[in-house]
Amino acid sequence: MKLTEDDIYRNSSQYKHWSFTPTQLAELRLKTNIQACERVKANVARQRAQRAAIALDGASASDSERGNTPGLENGNGNVSSNGGTPLRLDKEVDCLTVAEEMRLVEKFCETTLDLAKFIGLPSDVTATAVQFLRRFYLYNSPMTYDALIVSRTITFIACKTDNANPNLDDYIAKLGKVTRDQILAPEYLIVQALRFNFEVKHPFRGLKGAHLELGEIVRGAYTPLPFDTRTSNDLETEIASLPPSTSGAITGTKDIHVRLDNAYGFASNILKRTAQLTDAYFLFTPSQIMLASLLIADEPLTVFYLSTKLPASSPLHSKTLNTLRACATVFTTHRSYTASSVSPDEKAARDQLAKAEISALMKKLKKCRDPDKMDLVKLNQAQKRDAADQGGLEENKAKRRKVARENAEKEADDFWGPELGKK
Amino acid sequence: MSRLASRVPGASKRLAPDEDELCNVCKSSRYLNPDMRFLVNPECYHKMCESCVDRIFTHGPAPCPLAGCNKTLRKARFRTQTFEDLKVEREVDIRRRIAKAMNKQESDFERLIDYNNYLEIVEEVTWNLILNIDVEETERKLRLWEEAQKAELNPNATFRRVTDQPEASQLSDSSHVVLKKGGTQRRALATSSGNTSTPSGTEESGKRDTGFVFQGLKKRKLPPPEKAFDPFDGWSIEPQYYALQENHNYQWLTTYDSDPAYFAGGWQTRDYYSRMMEEAFGGMCIFLEDEKVAPLGSGDDDVGTQNAANAAIGMKDVVMDDVF
Repeated sequence: MKLTEDDIYRNSSQYKHWSFTPTQLAELRLKTNIQACERVKANVARQRAQRAAIALDGASASDSERGNTPGLENGNGNVSSNGGTPLRLDKEVDCLTVAEEMRLVEKFCETTLDLAKFIGLPSDVTATAVQFLRRFYLYNSPMTYDALIVSRTITFIACKTDNANPNLDDYIAKLGKVTRDQILAPEYLIVQALRFNFEVKHPFRGLKGAHLELGEIVRGAYTPLPFDTRTSNDLETEIASLPPSTSGAITGTKDIHVRLDNAYGFASNILKRTAQLTDAYFLFTPSQIMLASLLIADEPLTVFYLSTKLPASSPLHSKTLNTLRACATVFTTHRSYTASSVSPDEKAARDQLAKAEISALMKKLKKCRDPDKMDLVKLNQAQKRDAADQGGLEENKAKRRKVARENAEKEADDFWGPELGKK
Repeated sequence: MSRLASRVPGASKRLAPDEDELCNVCKSSRYLNPDMRFLVNPECYHKMCESCVDRIFTHGPAPCPLAGCNKTLRKARFRTQTFEDLKVEREVDIRRRIAKAMNKQESDFERLIDYNNYLEIVEEVTWNLILNIDVEETERKLRLWEEAQKAELNPNATFRRVTDQPEASQLSDSSHVVLKKGGTQRRALATSSGNTSTPSGTEESGKRDTGFVFQGLKKRKLPPPEKAFDPFDGWSIEPQYYALQENHNYQWLTTYDSDPAYFAGGWQTRDYYSRMMEEAFGGMCIFLEDEKVAPLGSGDDDVGTQNAANAAIGMKDVVMDDVF
């Protein structure tokens, strides 16, 4: 029984759970959006009814009661935005559309990239964090969970999964103005939404491998695959006589080594930023993403490289090339790629436009947030212990837990002796 | 007074219970030595006290001190008797030995009648040994059978030919024991020399003489030889888009090969290279457009998706297990 590298990839969770066709992806996003909208509307309506009932009781009571309404007591600006708007009572909530959500998620991805850069994380950890965020917002809406909170926690999770292992206190110190609870509270929720699939297969290492093999070809040390009739010397002369690339990484000199290094650097930059901001990870395999970025960087080189891997006569060759081109189109049409090729003035204007767009969206988002999921820290505490007052647990259940815990503590004391005195 | 009385022939019968209390070798009695223990040897089942055994047999095998018994005894085989009646003791020993040698079951035979015939022969052999009928021949057959069984169980064990050693019954197998006293070398030379002439263990039509031949006995099937352990259960990774090269002369890779921090733990640049190449081409020819056509929500993969989505977005978060 033999496994090819394709079979190995087919066994990964990325292929099984996080790969889609474009239509599936769109359907999924629409479904998530509809569900989230329904929920937001229902929760807002419930909250308004509650508030109306309180308002009937009298203005003096409403101030004290408001503190107990779930979702309203996190105190970081939400009370002021939600509290003083009696006019909105009968207005229908204006929810985000799928396109708007996608735009926001992309913005959050950019923010996460900047955050990771600020903390000084390596590029693969950053990419994992961004992909986690994208996966998270595939099944959840930004209206439900606040992206800022989620991205901070997700970056922390990505560090842990990719062996960067930061100390939580150090991590918090770098971020500033965050508490431990704010990082840890949504952790379980996020991990659950990621379905405990912690592995993200990235194209970075593959790009290094391709670069290495191209170097082997240049040195004439490459062993051609069985189907290839060319010898390593043929390949060596062929790669040296390739036409220069007309787009992407344009090299002035004829030196093939410089050309390879330039192509590598160019492709690597695409992978680090543009690939993270698009849906490429959902629609293509890491190998295709890697080769597509190489295709953008140096087309003649990549086409030649592909010809050493697949016989040009086979249908697979043209199909792969088409897929690579499709993936490359996804990258080249993205803002972050085109931004590098436009003039500074135009770029500034574009940035201005994007900023305005985002701030409008954020304003809209503020009005359609799910009131129940505002404060993840409280929600998390509610799930834990003694949460009777939150309505998260029934009274008797909380009591039972408390009694059980006290008993457990007492027993522990009996066995190990009394607790040590505090210093 | 009791000594005098015991010499009286008529009194011996009356004092029969006292026989248990008196050592047949040294004549000391339990009356004088309450801690005395009596031992028997399954060679001849003559009873003697522990101190006699120590005295006579400590320095090696010696003949039984009782008059008329010419068995050679070893100290290690002395034991306290289990049954009061020594005949029963002997029978149990014989039966135990036979049961060990002839341990076929009904499933080993083709028909029930064959099994019954086998049991009949086993019982016959047992009673032959118990009643001392035709002991020589029975012993010879039994030993051949035992060795044949052993050879069948373990074909690799070197098989000692029965004809190489002189024939003697196992119960009196003393032919090559060097006795410590020259005067006690009373060997049954006549029996041993008489039996060497019998053509035992001869090969009849290429088959070894197994002592007994049972009708309908199934041939023992050898278990199939164990296969070499394969941690991947027959699976192997065979890349189709690249061939792994032995080494690459790249500075940034080869420095790790000479860095003890890496090679001490078993890290090899080759592994890293293999991983790089696997990731470079893993999924190159997987076209998600074609392979992922199944609609969402079908297959059990997507049940998990749905649950996770519902849990995260839906009415309730998945509640963690109640710890208390």
